[in-house]
Amino acid sequence: MRFILRRLGFYLIAFWASITLNFLLPRFMPGDPVSRMFARTQGKMQPEQLEALRKLLGVDDRPIWEQYADYMHNIVTGNMGVSISRFPTPVTEVISSQIGWTLLLGGTALVVAAVAGNLLGIMAAWRRGGAIDSALPPLLVFIGSFPYFWLAMGALYLFGVILGWSPLRHAFSDGLEPGFTWEFISDAGAHLVLPALTIVLVSVGGWMLGMRNTMIATNSEDYITMAEAKGLRPGRIMLRYAARNAMLPSVTSFGMSLGFVVGGALLTEVVFAYPGVGYQLLNAVQGLDYPLMQGLFLTITAAVLLANFLVDILYVRLDPRVRSN
Amino acid sequence: MTHPRFLRAARVTAAGLAVGALLLTGCAATVNKPAGTDAAANASAFLTIPREDMSTFDRNFNPFAPTVTPMVQQAIYEPLLISNPLKGDAVPWLATKWDVAKDGKSVTFTLRDGVKWSDGKPLVAEDVVLTFQLQKKIKGGFEYLKEVAAEGSNKVTFSFNTPWSPALYEVGQLPILPKHVWSAVKDPGKDANAKPVGTGPYTEVESFQAQSFVLKKNPNYWQPEKQKIAGIKMLAMSGNDAANLAAANGDVDWATQYIPNIEKTFVSKDKEHRHYWFPPTGAMINWQLNTTKAPFNDPQVRKALSMAVDRDQVTKIGMSGYAQPADCTGLSGHYENWKNPAVKDNCSWTKLNVDEANKLLDEAGYAKGADGKRTLKDGKPFEFKISVGASSSDWLSVANVISQNLQAVGVTARVDSPDWASVVAGYEQGTFDSGIVWSANDPSPYKYFNNSMGTASVKPVGTKTFDNYHRFGDPKADALLKEFAASGDETKQKDIAYKLQEEYNEVAPLVPLFSGPEWGAYNDTRFTGWPTEENAYATLSDRSATTVLVLTTLEPRK
Repeated sequence: MRFILRRLGFYLIAFWASITLNFLLPRFMPGDPVSRMFARTQGKMQPEQLEALRKLLGVDDRPIWEQYADYMHNIVTGNMGVSISRFPTPVTEVISSQIGWTLLLGGTALVVAAVAGNLLGIMAAWRRGGAIDSALPPLLVFIGSFPYFWLAMGALYLFGVILGWSPLRHAFSDGLEPGFTWEFISDAGAHLVLPALTIVLVSVGGWMLGMRNTMIATNSEDYITMAEAKGLRPGRIMLRYAARNAMLPSVTSFGMSLGFVVGGALLTEVVFAYPGVGYQLLNAVQGLDYPLMQGLFLTITAAVLLANFLVDILYVRLDPRVRSN
Repeated sequence: MTHPRFLRAARVTAAGLAVGALLLTGCAATVNKPAGTDAAANASAFLTIPREDMSTFDRNFNPFAPTVTPMVQQAIYEPLLISNPLKGDAVPWLATKWDVAKDGKSVTFTLRDGVKWSDGKPLVAEDVVLTFQLQKKIKGGFEYLKEVAAEGSNKVTFSFNTPWSPALYEVGQLPILPKHVWSAVKDPGKDANAKPVGTGPYTEVESFQAQSFVLKKNPNYWQPEKQKIAGIKMLAMSGNDAANLAAANGDVDWATQYIPNIEKTFVSKDKEHRHYWFPPTGAMINWQLNTTKAPFNDPQVRKALSMAVDRDQVTKIGMSGYAQPADCTGLSGHYENWKNPAVKDNCSWTKLNVDEANKLLDEAGYAKGADGKRTLKDGKPFEFKISVGASSSDWLSVANVISQNLQAVGVTARVDSPDWASVVAGYEQGTFDSGIVWSANDPSPYKYFNNSMGTASVKPVGTKTFDNYHRFGDPKADALLKEFAASGDETKQKDIAYKLQEEYNEVAPLVPLFSGPEWGAYNDTRFTGWPTEENAYATLSDRSATTVLVLTTLEPRK
């Protein structure tokens, strides 16, 4: 318990530090949202309207500490303000209408990649030099080293345009009403397969190699030899004795990746026109949309810290060494 | 953790993958079918348009929102008149006629009879009055506007503080809102206006999703015979690539994003039905030299540098040959009717002439050294930066071409390409050397000349400015601009515009490069009646005032 409380305290400080950075960083960028918007419309906006727009959007010239106090107050009360680039939609609405799709896409891809990668890693290490071990790692590393954008476009062109197996865009067919009907869920699933698959393809190699390498180290431990000497079934040794001990680094990286899922798979969303928050974040940064940026960063920060905290707790259960500390 | 648990996990995964595979094969049926030529299907089809610059839509139909939802100002709300840059005329729309007062201090619009809002209430003069009150309160601008007054139910008079002729198009093109709806809105600047009431042809919002929405016919439209398509479907796309794929695959009817190598990637797949048209009616793209810095304060230097630029190469390499090189009037193709033939035909400094450029620079006192490079008067090398935002790949190649061209006259120009934000910050503060900049694109050329050489728009370095980044002012131009603003007579305006061009030709306030093309491509498998070069009733833009002309002309293919 003391361990958990201490971790919790640490996370609170980390949280405060990161939200303060969230506040400061965008304000160090040159320009302000309104002149940025003006530059983007390239002559379609009248210069004399800028002041009014500034007032409307609530872009203020108050001293920075006053803005900071306001910002902290807003975070505590959960009021994230109104997005500038999507004015006048509240930030919470912008995020909540899209984060579900991001979580679905990123979460599915992460779980599939981690599970498949780890299983492959276990098997590769177990049969070192076997078919899986010699063929898959170089192949996956080869695929993983393609620029993701290029790979995704290629997959979309092949499976979407030429073969016609996959939809070309969006999270579900246009005109369909979202709801818990078989029609909608299967349609959303069909739209999910290709984007998720491309992420899995480029990330599975990392999971596999990581697991394989720790597995190999574990395999040479004395207790494995001992288990073999006792005549236990190889499957049992592989999963219960070797894999369980080799899994800790994978759990850590799974926890960390879990947090980053919230940030969205920016490039995937761009290629597949998937309505998630990744592209929104890019837009917010480019448009200096402070409120939306802060809202998104806050969500990401909270998710990363929460995921890490959960991994910490899980560690207490998985690794006795942490408990004795 | 026990052994069976691991196996179970493995089994669940396998089952999941199997379901995924099933979905993958099952989805073949849901892929968008190629557009058919079946008349019945076309009659009920929605005109499908992608928005490459919006990854998601918000249910926000407030025209005051700075990044307004697509089609709000094109299909839902309508203006009093529509100016067509291709013909240089004004099409009466919600107003049937307008009278500019002799002293140029007011203009009176007569509203069209029988126009109804989509909820069935009639359009009245008070609607126009309220629209301008809201506009001035929320978005500002229109400083010259003293009063907007209704006379009876169908006449509105706008009076100005000073004679101000550019006002006609400015007030005439503002989309009009219904008073009976907006006067009840508590905070009009921030209201989402989820169920818009407008006079436009397509006002009824349906199946609104973050990734797409549909606008259906206005049941009370004033020209029902022109609502020939069943509705408009907008698709959200996060970038050109997704939108280009949709266009190439035949999923959309109208695409206005930049399509590289359009003949091959778009047209060649169906030559009969796929067409594009890029009239040079966009803004003039300029190379602006910061005239507060030497040697850019010398018109002779500006002209010499301009002469060193190979505009054919610039448009060919930078703009894939789709743009039209500038001439000495500085005006883009948008203002074709305003151009002074004498200036245009006797143009010297916007044409490539390296010898003359060298000569001018020598005369101006920037001699070439032994190494072939020029030095400034203080002995420093003639070197400067061209700033362009890193994300604009097309303008970046434009800047690179210029930089190469300048080597021929012994001038070193380095292309500086940080993020647009810092580029624009440099423009606004006046700290930049030179940069690639767009210009105003209004119905009349007033603003273009005011922003390029009017002293009123010149701010000292360090003070933020949002136009006239190059900070050039010319009292002679001021006098002409004042005269232009005060004149309500079009022939007289043209006369003054001619003189402004002569002055422009004299002082070369900036270096015009090329007229920006207005991108537009369409696929007429399902709808016909698109604007073309031969039938230029509008441009192919889906976000300008003329868009409603296209929407009310298209019809399903029979």
